Amino acid sequence: MSTAMNFGTKSFKPKPPDKGAFPLDHHGECSAFKDVFMRCLRAKDFDNSACRQQSKDYLQCRMERDLMAQESLEKLGYKDLMEKEKEKENKKERNSNHAGTRQ
Amino acid sequence: MAILAALRHFPLPCLKATSLPTRLWCGRNVALRSAHGTPSPRPAGGEARRRNRTVLTYIAASAIGMLGVSYAVVPLYRLYCQATGLGGQAVAGHATDTVTSMTPMRDRVLRVLFNADVHSAMQWKFRPQQIEVYVVPGETALAFYKAKNPTDEPIIGISTYNVLPLDAAQYFNKIQCFCFEEQWLNSGEEVDLPVFFYIDPDFVDDPRLIGVDTITLSYTFFQARKGHVPNLPGFHGTGPRRKE
Repeated sequence: MSTAMNFGTKSFKPKPPDKGAFPLDHHGECSAFKDVFMRCLRAKDFDNSACRQQSKDYLQCRMERDLMAQESLEKLGYKDLMEKEKEKENKKERNSNHAGTRQ
Repeated sequence: MAILAALRHFPLPCLKATSLPTRLWCGRNVALRSAHGTPSPRPAGGEARRRNRTVLTYIAASAIGMLGVSYAVVPLYRLYCQATGLGGQAVAGHATDTVTSMTPMRDRVLRVLFNADVHSAMQWKFRPQQIEVYVVPGETALAFYKAKNPTDEPIIGISTYNVLPLDAAQYFNKIQCFCFEEQWLNSGEEVDLPVFFYIDPDFVDDPRLIGVDTITLSYTFFQARKGHVPNLPGFHGTGPRRKE
């Protein structure tokens, strides 16, 4: 396709990935997280939006075991999940504060 | 008219003048006409020469200028293409800003199909772990492939990918994957190969992609030969990376 001398036809230009290649997980350290993610995908009819928490867990596993360059999760598109978590934490703090004062 | 004006300043000798206008403006007639009151006097010889030289200098300068511009156009056009993303060029400096600030377009669900191929000389077993995934533009997605080396000796593989339809390829951005770098698999080893990607939210605004709701991502693995550096974008050729 790309060698045809057609003027004006589009050819595919492969782009390198933004953050490079994943190092191979030779020892299967994050396979458990991957299995959780795949099970979630199969259960939710392969809807990616429903399994974002599991994919975030997988990427965090990779980062912890040095199989991926450290990157803040907002930069990987998980800003909404991080915000939800922050809200939950704030609520917990507020609840625990209230519990303390009520007594 | 221009010819007449030229003849007035550079008159032909009268014997050579063939047609009437040129005869009217030939050598001695020009002098007579000038004397009869045409306001612009013939300039003296020295001034004419100087003017000729200035004109010649201007022409030469513009010719060299044109030559320089034709050389400068090549990098300038490349910069312009990078800035505007024309012709599917990778737009410089858009990556992390887009990922951080993009919002998912929930009204446009796309089906991404996964395909895996190996070159005929490559003995790895390579397959996707899911046939399809439903994503929306503006949301990052994760997908897995599995590769196994069933032979008795380690094999180094290197992969490239293809996205169809071609119009959608410029919106398909991979944050991280396993392509274009050598991947070393020992004998009998089986690994998961993740692909972390997203589809640019500008996908919904492209008029050529109105009816498109299926994108196919196809990976092909080749066997890497020692010392051979293929001409692939982003290939580092650092050699096998072994996990200790």
